[in-house]
Amino acid sequence: MDILFGSIASGVLLGMVLSLVALGLTIIFGLMDIVNFAHGEFLMIGMYTGLLTAQATGMDPLFTLPLAAGIGFLLGILCYGGFVKFLLRGPMIAQLLGTFGLMLVLRNLALLFFGSEDRALHHGLLVGRSFDVGMGIIISATKLAVAVLAVLSFCGVWLLMNRTKLGKALTATALNRQGARYMGIPTERMNALAWGIGGATVTIAGALIVNFWSVNPYVGLIFTMIAFTVVALGGFGSVPGAFFAGLVVGFIMEIPGFWDFFAITFDIGWMADVPMISLKYTWIYVAYFVIMLISPRGLFGWKQ
Amino acid sequence: MKKASRNVPALFLLLALALPCSVLAAEDIKIGVLFPLTGGAAASGRELRAGAELALEIANNAMPDINMAMAKNAGIKSMGGAQITLIFKDHEGNPTLGADLAKKLILDDKVHGLMGAYHSAVTKAVSAVAEQYGVPLINDSSTSPELTKQGYKWFWRTTPHDIYFTKDLFEFLKGLTEGKVKGVPAVPKQDIMNLASACEKTEWGAAVSELIEKFSKDYGFEVKKSILYAAKATDLSSEVRSLIAVKPDAMLFASYASDAILMMKTLKDQKAAPKLLWGQNAGFEVPEFVTTLGDTTVGSLTRTVFIPKIAQVKPIAAKINTMYKAKTGSDLGGTSARAFTGLQAWVHVLEKAGSAKPADIQKAANSIEIPGDELVVPWQGIKFATSGEDLGQNILGMGLIGQYQKTADGKIDLEIVYPFNVATANMIYPFPKF
Repeated sequence: MDILFGSIASGVLLGMVLSLVALGLTIIFGLMDIVNFAHGEFLMIGMYTGLLTAQATGMDPLFTLPLAAGIGFLLGILCYGGFVKFLLRGPMIAQLLGTFGLMLVLRNLALLFFGSEDRALHHGLLVGRSFDVGMGIIISATKLAVAVLAVLSFCGVWLLMNRTKLGKALTATALNRQGARYMGIPTERMNALAWGIGGATVTIAGALIVNFWSVNPYVGLIFTMIAFTVVALGGFGSVPGAFFAGLVVGFIMEIPGFWDFFAITFDIGWMADVPMISLKYTWIYVAYFVIMLISPRGLFGWKQ
Repeated sequence: MKKASRNVPALFLLLALALPCSVLAAEDIKIGVLFPLTGGAAASGRELRAGAELALEIANNAMPDINMAMAKNAGIKSMGGAQITLIFKDHEGNPTLGADLAKKLILDDKVHGLMGAYHSAVTKAVSAVAEQYGVPLINDSSTSPELTKQGYKWFWRTTPHDIYFTKDLFEFLKGLTEGKVKGVPAVPKQDIMNLASACEKTEWGAAVSELIEKFSKDYGFEVKKSILYAAKATDLSSEVRSLIAVKPDAMLFASYASDAILMMKTLKDQKAAPKLLWGQNAGFEVPEFVTTLGDTTVGSLTRTVFIPKIAQVKPIAAKINTMYKAKTGSDLGGTSARAFTGLQAWVHVLEKAGSAKPADIQKAANSIEIPGDELVVPWQGIKFATSGEDLGQNILGMGLIGQYQKTADGKIDLEIVYPFNVATANMIYPFPKF
């Protein structure tokens, strides 16, 4: 049973981590309807910010979060103002190709400045700490911190979107840009703000994630895929949906653990021989495909 | 004036006749060296490069105080003192890139031979290119047994391969149950019966995984779980959980540099408690493994071909280790020692060939025999198989198993625990809890 409880706990924690990774994309893509293939690269920049600042200053990686948030916010606004807003004037394909290009530029800049080596943090308040709470459940302190931040961030963004005028203006811009402009909403500024908030949340996530995952210039791709799956599963336009979907994807990634549980508990030889671990990322892509097939709007989506 | 100008063509003619001779006399021997200088195995790449460069320095300069044939003369004596030039290329652990770089080295840089490429998957791709163009390739550090089973005529490997090393592991486990390990009373076989392995999933790791399965059957052990994982993975928690789930007595790994460190961190994080933890060299042996993980490494085992303690019984190893330490700040390891030995084999082959023609090099490589006392590694020597299944394999190599232990001054050192007759310390058993 240990492996079952362990996998459930790990799935929940991992799910929250992935929710936080996807939050920025939920705002930019899910709400504002702008495709951003460079989302994972924003996360990679957050990871490098956390890592390099901690290494250069000797401060604990946890204290690098405000800096990462600031850099992410500026980067988001800069990308929107200097690049994406021009793409919006063209057809949808311009956004796809444009942000794909942005992804390549950011990745190659990282390659140029940081090299292709894997880098990881080995020291910090939370690094390498974990709690054994029994029944096979081991909680890693770093993942727990990300989970807490995920809950706080989702609450914050939900409040912003649902309880403030700014949120209403953002939603209005997303629903009907022209209409919103007629109502006096500065839509350009709203879009820039969405990119700023989106950038800040994902770079914060990156600066925390680097506490337990190593970073290299290519790390963004898998996170972009995961984030798109989370947004699609949660539903376009739904912030709580993205949180819930993150948890589901966390469980999907733990499928090998559940598989092991059945193989070991019921002593099923052929199950033990299936290399499920090697396929652990495959299930995310399968899930993405199935979601798009069954419910293109996602589980909680309300936007067309 | 007119007379002088008439002499100009004659002067040119003289120069033209003289030039090729002088160029030939001083012509460099170019060897293309493919190593992973960036990417996940960059730490190993640095070691490999430093090892090869030290051997180059000794080969190109006369250092009579070193008891090695290649140190006696400056350059290759049989080729008029020709100097060796190494052209390093970074394949990043990518087989396609490795093959492309090998082609460039052959076609653009016109190298006389190749060396590398550490990752077995890259070596496999590079060896196919070398075979296609008929360019000699001496492999120093790739251990997938498959590489010498391809029947290639332009491929030679100095390092022992994983069949030797994995057999060593099981001989060691058998010895553990028979009380042969220094400082450890015989361990009942049922206490060490259950094994679990996690190997990276390219050519090398996949081959090691299969060998562990094979030898465990031969020696009567049981592999409860074997996992193949991506060396570039950023997270290994589900892999580690899967290993822990079968409650293995011994955990066995084949990992490159960054994934070995991530694996150990995750094992610690998940509070894994095996009785024995063994790594198939590579990532478990680079200096970063110890400098990054510190005390976490104490008690873990790694197979290797060089442990600085060898210096106690092998003066030549002590001498070269001192030079290497002065150059890099760290001791020679299995990785750097093998790169050193790989280039040393190249020097012997060139010396014997007396020319840079591929056919001469091939003939020389197939007939050299370097005595063990010339080598820094504790092998009986270097002699390549010229027939049979393992074509081009050095048949005189052997492996060691080392254990990380803390010395009195707080330093972490590798101690030899296998072969049992050269053990330098009592083995720590069982593996201390993380």
